[in-house]
Formats: sequence, C-alpha cells, structure tokens
Amino acid sequence: MSAGAETHGFLGEEFLTWIWFRWENDGGEFALPGGRVVGVAIDDMMTFSAPSDEETEQTLRRGSPTATAEARTALRQGRRLRRAKLLLAEGSRQWSATLDATTMTLGGVKLPEDAEEVETDADRTADRAANWIAVHELVASLYGVFLRERLRPDYLKQGAERQAQWMAG
Amino acid sequence: MAVFRRSGGVATFHWQGDLPDPAGDDFAEALRQRRFRTIEDAASEESSAGWVTPADPTGDSFGPEDMDAGAATWLRFRIDKKVLPKKWLAIHRDAAAKAKGRPLSGRERRELKDDLADKLLPRVLPNVNLVDALVVREKKQVLLFATGKSVRETFTKLFFESFALVLEPSDPLQLALRAGLSPEMNAELERLQPVRWPVDESMRRGRRTPGSAAPRKQDQETGTEDDA
Repeated sequence: MSAGAETHGFLGEEFLTWIWFRWENDGGEFALPGGRVVGVAIDDMMTFSAPSDEETEQTLRRGSPTATAEARTALRQGRRLRRAKLLLAEGSRQWSATLDATTMTLGGVKLPEDAEEVETDADRTADRAANWIAVHELVASLYGVFLRERLRPDYLKQGAERQAQWMAG
Repeated sequence: MAVFRRSGGVATFHWQGDLPDPAGDDFAEALRQRRFRTIEDAASEESSAGWVTPADPTGDSFGPEDMDAGAATWLRFRIDKKVLPKKWLAIHRDAAAKAKGRPLSGRERRELKDDLADKLLPRVLPNVNLVDALVVREKKQVLLFATGKSVRETFTKLFFESFALVLEPSDPLQLALRAGLSPEMNAELERLQPVRWPVDESMRRGRRTPGSAAPRKQDQETGTEDDA
C-alpha cells in the first residue's frame, strides 16, 4: 500500500460514503466541471471498513445491499464504505466498476458496449481505450467535486451535518 | 490485430517528467532495449520479463501502429516463469533418501534441487503471462491492467528501466493533489483528519437496547478528531 493510501485511505472511504449519501438524498446525478453530468448508483456489493483492528470488515452482496438493515446499522455505527460496486452513466454510456476507496483502484470494470460505428479492430481498440480513460476521468472528477466540498472551512457545519443526520437516521 | 479488453481490474500510476513520443523512434528504441527475451531453452533462468507488442508476442518488433490505441498507447509486457514441478522434486527426493537409507540433510536437499533444476528446467515450458497497459501521455498517466503486487512491481521496474521515469501509484492523496485544488485546499489536505461520524456505542458493543438506533441529536454527533 502506498504512503498516501496509508495516511489518506480514510478520505477515499469518506468519498465513497458521500456518493451513497448523495445518491440516496439527491438522486445520484452529479454535475461535473465542463458541464458534464454523470449518474452514479451503488449496485449489488458493498464493504464497510472495520472501525478498529479488533473489528471486522463487513461485506454485503447481491440484491440491494444499501436497503438492508445491516447497511443502516453499519452507518449508525459510523462505519465508512471501503469498497462498493458502482454504476456510472454519462449520456448513453454506462460502466460498472468496484471502487476500492483506500487505494482508489477500480476492479471488475465493465465498459459500455462498443460503439455501433466501429468497424475495424483498430477502431474497436481506440473506442475501448477511450472508455477506459473516460471511466477514470469520471471517478477523478467526482472525487474533485467531493474534495471541494470536504475541504470547505464550513464543511462540518453544512454538508457533514446533513450526512450525519442521514447516517443516524 | 488484437482488440483491447472490455473488462478487468486496473491500477493507475502517474509520472513526472517527459516521456518520448510513442510514435517516434526513441520510444520504440526504449522498449527494444528492454524487450522480452525467451527462456524457453534456458537451464538456469526461472523467469524473464520484457516488452512485446499486442501484434508480436516475441518482442522482435515495436511498430508504432501495433501500439496505437487512439487516445492512448497500448503497451504490453510478457512475464515467463519456469517452475520446477514439485511432484518431480518430491519423487527424486524420496528416491535419494531411500538410496541413502536416511532422510536427506538440508544441504543435500538444496544440492538435489539445484541438480534437478539443471536437468529439468530446460525441459519445462514456461508459464506465459501477457499484461497490458494504456499510456496516456498528455495526462502523464498509466492504466495497468493487473492488480497483483509482483506484476505491478515488475511493470514499474520495466517502465523505469526503459524511460527513466518513476511511476507513482494512484491513491486518495495523490489523486487529490492532481485534482486542481487551490493551494489552501492542498495545504489543508495534509492536515486532514477523518470525520467522526455518529456512533451508537451500545450497538457497536453488541448490546443493542430498544431505541438505541434512533437518530441522535446532531449537536453531539458530528465533528472531527480536531474538535475532540
């Protein structure tokens, strides 16, 4: 694990938990710089980090884990999301990927279907490469939106207060 | 021509400094210097790693057209490993022990293993692992399509040996520092502490009591370690 993952892994976990909070409360549409809009939803896998070394990680799979009593309990315990399978959509393109928040790596990524207009293998490769780059750009842009909110001086009195109510509710 | 994958896991890296133009001769020459070399017939080498291209798994050619992926450059490297079959080793060890009428000493076991490696490795075909990466030169970013530690280490070493550039793995801090934040926010990042979210202690200790999961007063819930 890199030094930044050791010291700031919590920030990635706060980011992932914030996505869930925004998805449930604001509908999951995020306005990104440059006028882009991306839709984000949490799919069928989520892992809560262990609050301490003595406690265990908790993974919920299949169905709608965000709607389960176990997930609500984890939030009330102040647990952050460590990993979650996300659905990301921009325009007609949709990706699914599992974000490991501590390292900010993407696992199990599935790209959108190949564009209809691609005809050659070279075109298909270029189209897929563009989609790989795009999904990383989307996650990085979302993270930037989160950071600009998280690093505001009044964050604890504003955004965090709202999220705290949601987590305790 | 091969087609780039549509699914998988990715580790992201960034570098600082200048990478040669992937369409130019310098780039191809850098790859050629650390091209893959086969160990198919080797007796002593147990592994080999080096650059190949999606069109040529031997490492003999590095045409820019074979690495063109539109907005990115498609790098591929190959890791071959020869592994001495464990069961063969056990069979020979048992036979030697039986011939001596006693278990082999540590030194004898090592000597037997070295001897067997010399005899058997030339006859063992290596396991072949082809690993892909997308290089986005404008962003100084590499997407590596492998998440295992040893493959990542092999890749960063190869990249450094080829281009004299150190790859930094992406993580929440590195990604934040590349997010175009204000200098004040970047400074704040270094000092940042986790938010301490509401915790229902009785639930956490497994002694849940009626009503303990009810929403708690906000003014006692939110704060950071700094506030404590």
